[in-house]
Amino acid sequence: MSDSLRVQSVPASLWPAVWKLLRLRGLILLSGFRRARLKRKIGIVVLSLILLSFLGFVFFISWALLRFLRSPQLVQFAGDVTPVLESMPSLILGGAFLGILLTSFGVLLQALYLAGDMDFLLSAPLPIRAVFVTKLLQAILPNFGLICAFSLPVLFGLGASSGYNALYYPFVLLALSALTLAAAGLASLLVMAVVRVFPARRVAEVLGFVGAVASFLFSQTGQFARFGNVNQGQATLALRSLERFNNPWSPLAWAGRGLVDLGEGHWVAGFGYLTLSIGLAALIFGLALTTAERLYYTGWAGMQSIRRKKKTLKATRSTASGALGAGAARLIPPAMRAIVVKDSFVLRRDLRNMSQLVTPLILGIVYAIMFLRSGGQPPPGRGEAPAWFMEAARNLLVYGNVGISLFVGWMLIARLGGMGFSQEGRSYWLLKTAPVSAGQLLAAKFSVAFLPALALGWIFLLGITLLQRAGLSILLFTLPVVALCVAGSAGLNLAFGVVGANLDWDDPRHMQRGSSSCLGALVSILYLPLSLLLFFGPPLLFTTLGWPEPGGQLAGLLLGGAFSLTCAVLPLWLVRKRVLVLGEG
Amino acid sequence: MAISPSLIETQHLVKRYGDKIAVNDVSLKVDAGEIFGFLGPNGAGKTTTIKMIVGLLRPTSGSVQVSGFDVQAQPLLAKAASGYVPDESNLYPKLTARELLRFVGDLYGMVPQQVERRIEELLRLFDLAETGDDTIDSYSHGMKQKTALAAALVHDPRVLVLDEPTVGLDPKSARLIKDILRQMAERGAAVFLSTHILEIAERMCDRIGIINQGRLVAVGTMEDLRALGKDGAQDSLEDIFLGLTGGAEYAEIAEVLR
Repeated sequence: MSDSLRVQSVPASLWPAVWKLLRLRGLILLSGFRRARLKRKIGIVVLSLILLSFLGFVFFISWALLRFLRSPQLVQFAGDVTPVLESMPSLILGGAFLGILLTSFGVLLQALYLAGDMDFLLSAPLPIRAVFVTKLLQAILPNFGLICAFSLPVLFGLGASSGYNALYYPFVLLALSALTLAAAGLASLLVMAVVRVFPARRVAEVLGFVGAVASFLFSQTGQFARFGNVNQGQATLALRSLERFNNPWSPLAWAGRGLVDLGEGHWVAGFGYLTLSIGLAALIFGLALTTAERLYYTGWAGMQSIRRKKKTLKATRSTASGALGAGAARLIPPAMRAIVVKDSFVLRRDLRNMSQLVTPLILGIVYAIMFLRSGGQPPPGRGEAPAWFMEAARNLLVYGNVGISLFVGWMLIARLGGMGFSQEGRSYWLLKTAPVSAGQLLAAKFSVAFLPALALGWIFLLGITLLQRAGLSILLFTLPVVALCVAGSAGLNLAFGVVGANLDWDDPRHMQRGSSSCLGALVSILYLPLSLLLFFGPPLLFTTLGWPEPGGQLAGLLLGGAFSLTCAVLPLWLVRKRVLVLGEG
Repeated sequence: MAISPSLIETQHLVKRYGDKIAVNDVSLKVDAGEIFGFLGPNGAGKTTTIKMIVGLLRPTSGSVQVSGFDVQAQPLLAKAASGYVPDESNLYPKLTARELLRFVGDLYGMVPQQVERRIEELLRLFDLAETGDDTIDSYSHGMKQKTALAAALVHDPRVLVLDEPTVGLDPKSARLIKDILRQMAERGAAVFLSTHILEIAERMCDRIGIINQGRLVAVGTMEDLRALGKDGAQDSLEDIFLGLTGGAEYAEIAEVLR
């Protein structure tokens, strides 16, 4: 090889190498923007402008709200809120620290161990610490940006409304950056420790599942709260409890206290708290950096040599049939049965899928409890509604169990039907090269979406009917209603799923693409009330007119059934030819 | 169904992607009991041709017959007769090898008892019996490749199409695959395989086709191909291949690296 090709310089020290890697990342970003379509470029610019306006708006609202909280009229009503306001920086910075710590774990796991460029970076003549720092910065920057977007305008608004001096503002940014780095450093230490014990990919799967379910549970438990019943004493108590976060012994409060002291001109206390806080953050980050050299490399190298722990499964033919039920298995052609059984295994075993499938269950339980708590009675309102309206609402709520069952089934179908074909991913070639017709494929995928949604819908229906002690005639009518409605929804979602199928993904959570899946969900949202109107319209009309209800139920079943079956079959018939060319894009 | 000894037959096969012609007027035949090697540089159109043969892609024009059935007109019959091993296995990661083979057996409408017997045979043959109940995502590349081959063989196809079957395999597994392909050909199956390893093509294949820039530039036995070369009987397959597909640039690259 000629001398001219010899390497000129290798960045042996940390920061030049970090700079080189960050510059490369910036270059990739810039190049991506330059090569993007004009539509996308305009979108990015517009989005940035909207974000900037939003920041300005949050700043203005915070400033106005905080001034209002200090107004003498409010002080008379709620007492002096100055201690609460002074605890806000501690609360926000503490929240930002914990938020970054929690969210960084998953992000850093992905960036430090599961990124596609790790082989390239770790085999290049670069210090491991440089790779670590670059990956760390790259991973936390989006979260940091998000935290800044929400907390900076509020903290600046507090400064403006309280008349803090100018030093307050740069130190807010400094404290936020230091705490973010400390949180990310702590999270990286945790990640490095966990990856030494468990395979990174499995940790990511479990984390995705637990994270999704936990956040969903937390968001839905708010449904049980009765905010309307909160009195003034409880509100004041809740407000005062915020002050507890401003404890001088809590390291999380030091930065916030320091900022307030600095803003109010108490220089010694302000600089003291801030030095303590920023020093501790630097210590944690330094510890992460020094440990990274050993822990990070050995953890990463371990991933290459140790294969993931084998998961040995005993799956006999009887258990495979068991997934469907032996009786049903005999009725279904072998190819269809094979696809249904295969999908049931694949969906159950991937935790990343499970988090999406558990969601309807949680929502269903939450709404079923809320429905049962209301006693099946319409809210009385102010009592001005006419009697006939209240009677009609009461009659309608007799079928409220169907609404909840369908809601649960619909959510499950949106996942199982809408992504029935997409979930095949790059393994779709196995189906495409097999002697399976488009009709069989559609029928199999329809069963995969319909059967679990029907089972779940019926379980909810039976459970609620039993708890409500509704009559047998209502149950006998609502069972086929749920089945037919779910069938129609499955047909619609599956058809739109075929049109927008995305077979090119690595993570099941990214398989949804394009507008067709949204359109499918939208159409099925429109379909459900329409079909329910056809199912329940006749029995409600019969009851109102004083005619026998079973006659109305029969008429409803005929009308709604015909509509639902049309929605189950027609869209699939329309897309059958599209199935033949799937995966040829 | 026309009576023909050819189990694979392509006629004037063309595949276009917009303005680009990936496969241009490819006509070839592979008879029963024959191993056909399909060679060509990267991007020459090998995988596209293979995908059209197994029904993964629709030709822009021309036709493909597998086991006497037109792949477009009678896809189910054509597919039932063939087995396919892609260049990247891409198997369902959350299934075990045993479950995958059972799934494929069911797709091809095999009798359950027959499927179970076949699964045991194939897992033993490919040294996967012990790991047959582990999920595929725990397998090495070679094990995945062997599982894909086992899946292609479950229904004992008359036509076997393989895209780079020996890539990433250890010498023992590569040898096993070569032996299996030879046995299948001896039992009357047609084997169509693409490879970059010219030694495999030279030693295993009864006939070889060379594709370059979408066009089939040569087809025949080793003797037929040697007749096309400069030095006749002295030419190796490598010389013939480079001569037909333009090997001058490789010499230049070697010069730069020297």
